[in-house]
Amino acid sequence: MWREASLSRRLLGAAAAFIAVALVVAAVVIGFVLHRFVQGQIDQRLDTQIVFLTSLLRADGNGRLTLTGNADGPPFERARRGWYWQVTGPHNVLRSQSLEGADLDSPDVAERVRRPPPPREVDRGPRGERPMPADGVGPDDEHLHYRIKQVATPAGAATVIVSAPRAAVLGPLREAMTTLAISLGVLGVALVLAILLQVRLGLRPLERLRRAVADVRKGTIARVPENQPLEIAPLAQELNGLLAQNEVNLERARGHVANLAHGLKTPLATLAIALSDRKHDAEALHPLIGLMERRIRHHLGRARSAALSGPVRTQTVVLPRVRDLGDVLSKIYADKGLALAIAVPPDLAVACEAQDLDEMLGNLMENGFKWGRGHVAVSAGANERMVVLAIEDDGAGLLPAQVAQVLRPGERLDEAAPGFGFGLSISRELAELYGGSLDLDASPLGGLRASLRLPAA
Amino acid sequence: MKVLLVEDDAPLAREIANALRRENFAVDIAVNGEDGHHLGDTEAYDAAVLDLGLPKMPGTAVLRAWRDGGRQLPVLILTARDGWTDKVEGFKAGADDYLTKPFRVEELIMRLRALVRRAAGHAAPGISCGPLAFDAPTGVFELNGLPLKLTALEWRVLQSLMLRKETVFDRGELMEKVYEGDAGTDSNSLEVIVARLRRKIGHDRIETVRGRGYRLTAGAA
Repeated sequence: MWREASLSRRLLGAAAAFIAVALVVAAVVIGFVLHRFVQGQIDQRLDTQIVFLTSLLRADGNGRLTLTGNADGPPFERARRGWYWQVTGPHNVLRSQSLEGADLDSPDVAERVRRPPPPREVDRGPRGERPMPADGVGPDDEHLHYRIKQVATPAGAATVIVSAPRAAVLGPLREAMTTLAISLGVLGVALVLAILLQVRLGLRPLERLRRAVADVRKGTIARVPENQPLEIAPLAQELNGLLAQNEVNLERARGHVANLAHGLKTPLATLAIALSDRKHDAEALHPLIGLMERRIRHHLGRARSAALSGPVRTQTVVLPRVRDLGDVLSKIYADKGLALAIAVPPDLAVACEAQDLDEMLGNLMENGFKWGRGHVAVSAGANERMVVLAIEDDGAGLLPAQVAQVLRPGERLDEAAPGFGFGLSISRELAELYGGSLDLDASPLGGLRASLRLPAA
Repeated sequence: MKVLLVEDDAPLAREIANALRRENFAVDIAVNGEDGHHLGDTEAYDAAVLDLGLPKMPGTAVLRAWRDGGRQLPVLILTARDGWTDKVEGFKAGADDYLTKPFRVEELIMRLRALVRRAAGHAAPGISCGPLAFDAPTGVFELNGLPLKLTALEWRVLQSLMLRKETVFDRGELMEKVYEGDAGTDSNSLEVIVARLRRKIGHDRIETVRGRGYRLTAGAA
């Protein structure tokens, strides 16, 4: 079964396929060259026989062809082995002894068999054409390889056919190819084994790293060893960086939880005493609950800010967030029937996380909806570095002294200005965290104008 | 007026339900998302109070399923998630209002009353029908300017009829809006309640439309 996840299988599979293809191609090429070589050897031998025969041909007094010597040298003297020759003259036919009187087929032998290609110019020797190759069948139905040549003799034109058994070509070839195939097979197996070894060795550092990470998880070691091969060392360093970051974050989170617990325990203690006192007015306890809620929100906000350590380079397009928040607030404050005017360029973006932008804008816009009498307006302008979002309403607004109070940082939560949400100071803290600011002043609409300055994206 | 409360925290659900019942609401409680979805899908409610962190099926999924199924009942999300992004998500899922824990139950009741009133198509908080006046934010009925004393069942019937004054309120639907899911419904008792109401506000105010239901009317036809 193929598993995408296994590196060694992928490496091994690809290498094996490549080796197999390479070896098959090599076998085909070598086979082809060998075949040509053996064929060439046989052809040379047959052509020599043709030259020899031609040199022995004479004409007798009757114009018949005769031989002036014995042309049946080895291997042509052995009967019926496929080594034959035959000269067809105008009046008579001469045959090798090995044919034992059998006919090496008629002159149309050249027609019956594969027609050879016409000889090219370069193939023509100075003394006439080169012999042509052909395939044929011998007297015993054996496959033969022919060389055929037309020669001029004193008795006129004659056709010389010399043959060798096909097996003389294929036999040595088969033998050589068998040896070759075995060698290539062994070579292939050896190569695959070598690659297997290489993959095992090459991937061993990864396995070591995996075990190191497992040890970190178990707690037996604190960090992954960084003395790794060049390719893996950055990974190990990144892992260690991540581990360090996690530790820091965990420490911070613990700190926030501890602070939160501390911040809740005091009002809880008050609540417990008050509850045991039956005469206590229940209504008077609500501020304590409000205080606890504000402390929770404050510490959650702090925890989020802590998570923002390091440069944050996300960007958030402002208009969709303003629209979404506007929809939400229009529903929450449906009964007030306020008109919300949005003038924000569609492509304006700030370098803040969407959730934080939601938090800042949501708090400010809710203030507008809470205090506005008929109109809330959100507008935006930008220069190269900063985006300024103005949230305005036509409510009662704030006196300068009150502004300082509502923006007071979270330390004195229990004295947050009545009426104005704790949200303003959260918005300001977040804005400053991003290198921006929050300013409050009077709006031309008649109420409060909150100017939120944030880095442009 | 009947409200579906989907809240997995049993003590909180009990407290909310008690507070709502003190204000004459009929309340059905579902303790997980699946049950909540099923009830909201099959029963007639005036509004639902939906927690987001629910077992078996998250609140936003319940809400989406209702909206996809064409259920238009007003839904108030009640959750500890107080981030604005969460609120945006909730409203996008189809919520009509959003209240974060901790909250004052008076605020929840006020918001529910406003939701139900708006869903019935009344923009103003005060609704009147002849000499009868209903102040939706407080849930108080007045007859000729004097407060009207009503039992919980009487209040539920009259409030339902008031929100759809001058139109016929289907009998079966009215029973669903008046009785809680596990209470035995005896159709005769609806007749009894209507009869008592007629004695209090005048016989002509509530017409019986034979075979269909009841209609609250300014009368003086």
